[in-house]
Amino acid sequence: MSYSKDDIRDLLEGRLAWDKIKEIMSSPKDDDRFDRCIEILQERVPWPERILMPLGEHLYVVDKSGERIVKCDCGHEFGDWRQNWKLNALIFARDTREKLEEIYPGIRCPDPNLCEVREFYCPGCGTLLKVESVPVGYPIIFDALPDIDSFYSEWLGRPLADRKEFKDMTCEVTRGWGLEADGAHG
Amino acid sequence: MNERRGIGDRGRTLKQMLEDNERLYQETGCYAGIVEPRLLREDPVRAELFHSRIMAALIAGRETTRMISGSPYVREVAELCIGLYTPEGDNIAQSTGIQVHIRLMGDNIQWMVRNNYEEEVGIEEGDLFIANDPVISGVHAADVYDMLPIFHDGELVGWVCTVIMEVDIGAVSPGCMPTPNVERGTDGLKFCCEKVGSKDRLRRDFEHKISISLDMSDIFLLDRKGAIAANIRVREEIRNIIREFGLEYFKGATRELIEEERRNQMARIRQRTVPGRYRDVVPAEFPMANQPVSWVPANRDVIRLIPIQMDILPSGRIVLDFEGTGEWGWHPFNATPKALWGGLSISVVQTLSYDGRANLGSLLPFEIKEPPVDSLLNPSQVRQLATSTMWSPLLDIYGLWMGMLGAAFYLRGFREETFNMRSSSGWQMYGYDQYGTKRPLMLSPLGNFGPGATGVCDGVDNAGWVATPETDMGSVEVWELFAPHLDFTRRFEPYSVGYGRFRSGLAIPTMYMPHGSRQMVASGAIGCAHDRIIPNLGLFGGYPGGRRNTILVRYANYQELLEKRQPLLCEIGDPREFGQQIQGEVLFLDHVLPPVEVHEGDLMIADNAAAGGLGDPIDRSPASVVSDLDEGLATEWMARNVYCVGVSYDDETKTWRTDEAETKRLREAKRKERLARGVPVKEWWQQARQRFMARSFDDRIVEMYRSSASLSQTFAQEVKDFWALPDNFAL
Repeated sequence: MSYSKDDIRDLLEGRLAWDKIKEIMSSPKDDDRFDRCIEILQERVPWPERILMPLGEHLYVVDKSGERIVKCDCGHEFGDWRQNWKLNALIFARDTREKLEEIYPGIRCPDPNLCEVREFYCPGCGTLLKVESVPVGYPIIFDALPDIDSFYSEWLGRPLADRKEFKDMTCEVTRGWGLEADGAHG
Repeated sequence: MNERRGIGDRGRTLKQMLEDNERLYQETGCYAGIVEPRLLREDPVRAELFHSRIMAALIAGRETTRMISGSPYVREVAELCIGLYTPEGDNIAQSTGIQVHIRLMGDNIQWMVRNNYEEEVGIEEGDLFIANDPVISGVHAADVYDMLPIFHDGELVGWVCTVIMEVDIGAVSPGCMPTPNVERGTDGLKFCCEKVGSKDRLRRDFEHKISISLDMSDIFLLDRKGAIAANIRVREEIRNIIREFGLEYFKGATRELIEEERRNQMARIRQRTVPGRYRDVVPAEFPMANQPVSWVPANRDVIRLIPIQMDILPSGRIVLDFEGTGEWGWHPFNATPKALWGGLSISVVQTLSYDGRANLGSLLPFEIKEPPVDSLLNPSQVRQLATSTMWSPLLDIYGLWMGMLGAAFYLRGFREETFNMRSSSGWQMYGYDQYGTKRPLMLSPLGNFGPGATGVCDGVDNAGWVATPETDMGSVEVWELFAPHLDFTRRFEPYSVGYGRFRSGLAIPTMYMPHGSRQMVASGAIGCAHDRIIPNLGLFGGYPGGRRNTILVRYANYQELLEKRQPLLCEIGDPREFGQQIQGEVLFLDHVLPPVEVHEGDLMIADNAAAGGLGDPIDRSPASVVSDLDEGLATEWMARNVYCVGVSYDDETKTWRTDEAETKRLREAKRKERLARGVPVKEWWQQARQRFMARSFDDRIVEMYRSSASLSQTFAQEVKDFWALPDNFAL
């Protein structure tokens, strides 16, 4: 089962008609989808690093000189994929009624005493990469941490060079921030 | 010593069969120890015919029930499902419908098996068993299971089970999912796998009990008769299948169907997802302070966290972990570990196993870690609690979980499979119907919110309901015959949307006015929403839909408006101005809605909202924005301020037009605005950390963190690690 590159490109671009989308949804899945997508996405970005995996509409995990980093299609880099990329984004926290009502006017507005709607922007291009609605004080969510090495080696049968340990390294960043903040205060 | 001869395979008892099956699975990792599914593979055409015959029997049985039942839930909305089970209670096949119960109906069979029904209660040809107690297994007491054993030449070769959601189960606050109830006794009738008939007939004493106990006993008994008729029909067809295919083939192939589905499910996971860790969180709000409860300590407003972690392992197995879930409470929204499987079942058949072959095998690749004991998802006092609305947290959990799995599909390139869901709200009423009888009246249609966007197109409007893949609100005219009300609206609500490059589907707010009832009381159903915290349903830059509202409008001038033929409210309209034109009261009722008396001239509104949009809204195609404007599905304010598309209305053609240059300018300005007011997360983190350390939060938030930390050291440590808090900091 396989689709043409043009069909997959149209699918990603949102240009396919609903009846075609429905046909794709209802048919057996195409085994080469991942590779087709990577090929199309690679052609779209203006930089040379190899895309290992898409991480969103504009974000990718790429291989940069043996390191696996998160990169926006504008070229902005967010660091190791095992650290939540959001920590290197810009944030706009909608934590007042006024800020929330810009998106959720009138009776649609949540309670700013309890709810915070966080928007994460790319510092390079200002794209809105993620909206996070959580109770106030909740740690920034690390939405998806793909096990890239297991995926390539065990599921695709094409192991990547320089296997990296699969672990969440986000707290290494916040620990450093904490030491810096406490040092500054202490 | 002579062992008693059992009614199962080769004279084994059902308990022995169950234990043997579990041992074989443990030893081989394959269902029933089937390392090689020989029967299905040797003759695939015969196997396909065999499976089709079973499915045809189940689907025909389901339609039989719909013809007999008198309940709009069954006839209109089709809230039922039928499954075929092995003697040990493992699901072989399910009909279409509410496939929540793949495992749950089997849990009830296994409860009977483990409790030695074979010897102590007796399981014989034509015996009728029913169950609806979520303490055994289930997702709320309204779901009643009718179970019928299938014998062949004296050997029990399987079970057929039908589940129907009842309109009335005799709850203290009537309806089928009452929210004010907090204790078990208020739930209504509970049946814990009771034998209520033999020789294919209900016992007369059972019918008398129902007639005396339930206001809507006719509906309940008709549902039983519909279910029993369906079960008998399936049983007889299974006997035909056994005659045609042979008993040994039936026994072997039914088990192989489960094992094959397990393998197919593992293959789907490996084909469509990416291994790794996926996370999200449900903040569940339970404002019970104003409820007229039977147990006064229940009068508390609490918020509970339900963190969700999904690990897709390199093996292809999926592990769900709810570590960090807050404590149970005196409300009807506590769930159980078994109920979590019910939510997973219906979510799996809408995301992975939608080829008509879903059965127990679809669930075997999953593991649900036991939630912390005494958490909202695992209360040790569950026998004392009301279980009438256990569905509520499950809908929130699995609405988000679909999006988490959807993210895994997205990463793999299957963007068309990415979407999420949201719980919806409704009203349920009780009182005198238009025919003069006092009874529970209805639960408003709930399948009316907008599901999330996919990764390749907008979400489908008004098509979302976690509980069934076949969302159907039913016919308004039939609902109006069933209960004394007028249905005022079926309009899409533009502001219910989750914005995004692809927007969510839109919700329809339901609006009901009592009509023809001399006294009526209304209360909330399921989430009966008034979100203070909107769920985290935005995907890859899309926004979640906004706050849901439960609103009661009391017209002061209803008769006058009728006489002057002036319009009544039939849509939400601009959310900034809602209610301003109304003479009378506009009451925004709480998340958990206390019962209120309602009259003609009152309008009960369940203002639902949508799940999530996907992608940055300023990436949305201007043509899609204009199309929505032309259809009345978006507003000019949204076009300019959210999608940043320059638009103008052409009075001549009565259509909207885009202005390319204006769009470019608006979008560039939006990016500049974001870059100007966005701050580095590090900077924000330092301030937010100070706030966390000072506990400068609403009391409910402080208590929410305390509750989760009290049950999970792991959760507490993770929060402390993120905020770099001292070791001695107590959450």
